[in-house]
Amino acid sequence: MKRRAFLQYGLALAGISGAALSCNNKRPVKGSIIGANAGIGHLLRDKTFPTPIKSGKKKVVIIGGGVSGLSAARHLQKNNITDFILLELDQKVGGNAAYGQNQISPFPLGAHYIPIPNNNLSGYLEFLQEAGVITSFDENNLPVYNEAHLCFDPEERLYLNGRWQEGLIPLFGVPEIEAEQLKRFFQHMQEFRVAIGNDGKEAFNIPVNNSSADPIYTALDQITMKDWLQKNNYNSEYLHWYTNYCTRDDFGTPYDQCSAWAGIHYFAARKGKGSNAGYSDVLTWPEGNGFLIKHLESSVKDNIQTGCLATQVASSEKAILINYFDTKDQQLKQWEAESCILAVPQFVAARLLQNKVREDSIHQDVQYVPWMVANLLVNSLDEKSGVTLSWDNVIHESKSLGYVNATQQLLDGHPTKRNLTYYLPLTDKEVREERKSIEKRTHPEWVEIIMKDLERVHPDIREKTEEVTIQIWGHAMAQTKPGWIFGNLRKSLSEPINKSIYFAHTDIAGISIFEEGFYQGIQAAGNILKA
Amino acid sequence: MRGKESGSQWLLLIAVFLIATCGIIYELVAGTLASYLLGDSVTQFSIIIGVYLFSMGIGSFLSRYVNGALLPWFIRIELLVGAIGGFSAAILFLVFPLAASFQIVLYSIVGITGILVGLEIPLLMRILKDKVEFKELVSRVFTFDYIGALLASLVFPLLLVPKLGLIRTSLFFGILNIGIGWYLADHFKKELKQAVRLKAAAIILLLAELTAFVYAEQIMNYSESLTYNDNIVYAVSSPYQRIVLTRNKREMRLFLNGNLQFSSADEYRYHEALVHPALSSVNQLEDVLVLGGGDGLAVREVLKYPTVKSITLVDLDPVMTQLFTSQSVLLNQNNRSLLDKKVKVINADAFVWLRNNTKKFDAAIIDFPDPSNFSIGKLYSTLFYQLLKNALTEDAVAVIQSTSPYVAPRSFWCIDSTLHKVGFSTLPYHNYVPSFGEWGYIIATLNPRQNWFSAMPNGLKYLNTQTLQTMFVFPEDMKTREPYMANKLNNQVLVQYFEEEWSHYLE
Repeated sequence: MKRRAFLQYGLALAGISGAALSCNNKRPVKGSIIGANAGIGHLLRDKTFPTPIKSGKKKVVIIGGGVSGLSAARHLQKNNITDFILLELDQKVGGNAAYGQNQISPFPLGAHYIPIPNNNLSGYLEFLQEAGVITSFDENNLPVYNEAHLCFDPEERLYLNGRWQEGLIPLFGVPEIEAEQLKRFFQHMQEFRVAIGNDGKEAFNIPVNNSSADPIYTALDQITMKDWLQKNNYNSEYLHWYTNYCTRDDFGTPYDQCSAWAGIHYFAARKGKGSNAGYSDVLTWPEGNGFLIKHLESSVKDNIQTGCLATQVASSEKAILINYFDTKDQQLKQWEAESCILAVPQFVAARLLQNKVREDSIHQDVQYVPWMVANLLVNSLDEKSGVTLSWDNVIHESKSLGYVNATQQLLDGHPTKRNLTYYLPLTDKEVREERKSIEKRTHPEWVEIIMKDLERVHPDIREKTEEVTIQIWGHAMAQTKPGWIFGNLRKSLSEPINKSIYFAHTDIAGISIFEEGFYQGIQAAGNILKA
Repeated sequence: MRGKESGSQWLLLIAVFLIATCGIIYELVAGTLASYLLGDSVTQFSIIIGVYLFSMGIGSFLSRYVNGALLPWFIRIELLVGAIGGFSAAILFLVFPLAASFQIVLYSIVGITGILVGLEIPLLMRILKDKVEFKELVSRVFTFDYIGALLASLVFPLLLVPKLGLIRTSLFFGILNIGIGWYLADHFKKELKQAVRLKAAAIILLLAELTAFVYAEQIMNYSESLTYNDNIVYAVSSPYQRIVLTRNKREMRLFLNGNLQFSSADEYRYHEALVHPALSSVNQLEDVLVLGGGDGLAVREVLKYPTVKSITLVDLDPVMTQLFTSQSVLLNQNNRSLLDKKVKVINADAFVWLRNNTKKFDAAIIDFPDPSNFSIGKLYSTLFYQLLKNALTEDAVAVIQSTSPYVAPRSFWCIDSTLHKVGFSTLPYHNYVPSFGEWGYIIATLNPRQNWFSAMPNGLKYLNTQTLQTMFVFPEDMKTREPYMANKLNNQVLVQYFEEEWSHYLE
């Protein structure tokens, strides 16, 4: 979320935090770093295990309790398959849609909203109706969205040129020539939104795999978003900042490394229409997408084993053997299953399968970007001029994506305290290097990074912050580098093995959004039902 | 030698002049404040003047017991007057919320100031008696005394109150008093043993008053007397809002965050129009819900229905409801309605309360502030009215204060559309409230009814059958010309309409 120049000359985060430590007169802020289950996760990488205890037989074992895994479980359940188990490493399911809770409200630890769904996604709409997000369908068969779930106004603001403006598209103090370019850009995106490929499919669709294979569009996956902008004579700094913000926001990938197809998909794939909402509207909850997780989880609760780290997935002649380490009793155990769904990122899947070739190619060609998500419990803050506190609050030329007011959807109009969820994809350096440096960073160092950033818009934030909860996502999402979406690797990684091992994850879906995870699960479970 | 004596004499006479001025000013401050706070200015001024003059008499009487070195006593009293008089207005404003003790504090301050001022003139005459011939002395002292009184009476209403406000006026004269004290101590330091101590005391008091002058007034005057035409008699910030009570000769006004909530002169027009058309149309009126309206004025009207068994008032701000259950002037205004045993006061956010509520009500009176920001805009949304529906019996009638259909017709009809959107039938109406202008209300019902307005209470100050009929007639300039969008949490169109219309109006 910053201009090129800032990216190039910007201080490394480590440098900032180092400098910050030298000013030791800062009040320490309460809080902790949570959920970095790297410790358990890395057992898989580092530890050798003894012979497992047999747990028994299951028709299906699902590994991973994120959106994909839970959705697969739900789909099995719906189709009357109940003889399955879902193994989750963490104490709670949810994956990237996990959430926390403090005395004020629940708050997201990761993904925090879904856009209005495209109307052709009937299974997804059905799920949202089950969850109470859709209350009914109107006379035109358009979904009526629950007004408590549609994001309350004011929705978005951008701190630009010393003032909070409405919306995230730069407007305030933007020269006319650049404003014209922004307008042209959005017209361009509108054309992509309605574009149909030569195969009759929509050029940009959700799930990504339903998009057209027309080379006119797939060629966009060969270049970066930045190159695409330049090729199309978009040189406005504000537009460049904005697209970079967007690609980092959705894909954790700076626009000069992000596939132009993915970058455009961000603008062109949303076509949903509700009775009381349009495609640019969003649905959100205090706990973010944790709300949807709760619903996904509710019907399959009994089939979930938490605190269980899968360590190996092996095919024998008649069955799949799934070894897992149960952290509760520190025992290595084994399920025997007819099929297995690996609803985990591919770098984990490859290790479970102990497939060195697979592992190497992923290591080389797929980058998992780390994110830091912080929840700040704050008292009411000083505000700069312009639009009042909104749901999404973005600061122009900040390394972060700004913060979301997690208390936006509370009905109480006068909260004295709020939860603000701060998002920072760590994209300055190469992903492995970033991951190494975040492992060392302490809570006060993270807090300092956040305060330095937010101080510009809330000068009193240091005194007003009571607690900061830091969530580190070491491998938050697969970056959408050129060639990833329409390349062969993603396709080959998605292929089931021996009609018994299936993959379901947003990395192989192409982009990391709720709908993709949801359909990844349905597809994998559906394949098992067919087999 | 003669020259110096004469200089000292004039200095003391100037002191008389200033003391007289200050004394009258403190009296005027107290009188003004009392009439703002307690109403009935004739009574208040009359009592204050009486108490003050009588106290001066006590002071004069007590002067006979003051013996020995007179000049230090004179200076001490000067400093004391400066301290008590100077802080008097600030103290009175602070004490006002503690209703029971207010009059005691008021008359004590007036009394003490009077006694001290009363002590000064006799003391001064005794100090000067050996320096000036008696007839000269009496003539000069009283001349200066009365000139000072005239000056004070003129500058107080013309210059001081409008320019400085009450707190600063009293502090300003306190500073003057103390300044004189310090100057006298300094001038006569050779004749005074305690000169250093007196001067130190004077400087400490001076600093205290200067600080109060700068800070207390900055907050009160700059932020508020600029906003309010009348004098602020009470102001308090709760966690939710700034509550300000102002008073002029004719009326008392309550402002929440700078927006007028009611004027005592005509609030009955508003509250009768808000409550009676709806309540008189309910067949079995027993349980009434009032949302907002922490001033208890709507509740006062509801209590006119003998069939009412319970009134649940939900207002966000405990400071507000506390004020209207404890302040005598305000209790007079709402007729002690919130203290009635049928009334249950709940301090909660109405939205959150409504969501958790399971009780059904026969009538609901919704008296929220105008939708001037997103927090209040929520309370006029489709989701809010959905929840309201759940809190109503089938036969219930709800009424919503809906801002001015003249100034803000789009806002008014937007509220109407919002109610329709969730399935209410509506009956919009309006009346004229001089301090608000043309004001609008909307009755909302779930089922059709016949006996509209059948149970109007007798003895209302404003409403009668004919007036009632006219309220439902909308002139052309208040009618809607287009269907308006419903106000929803995710569009908050009402706040936008309201902002546009009112900012345009206030330009």
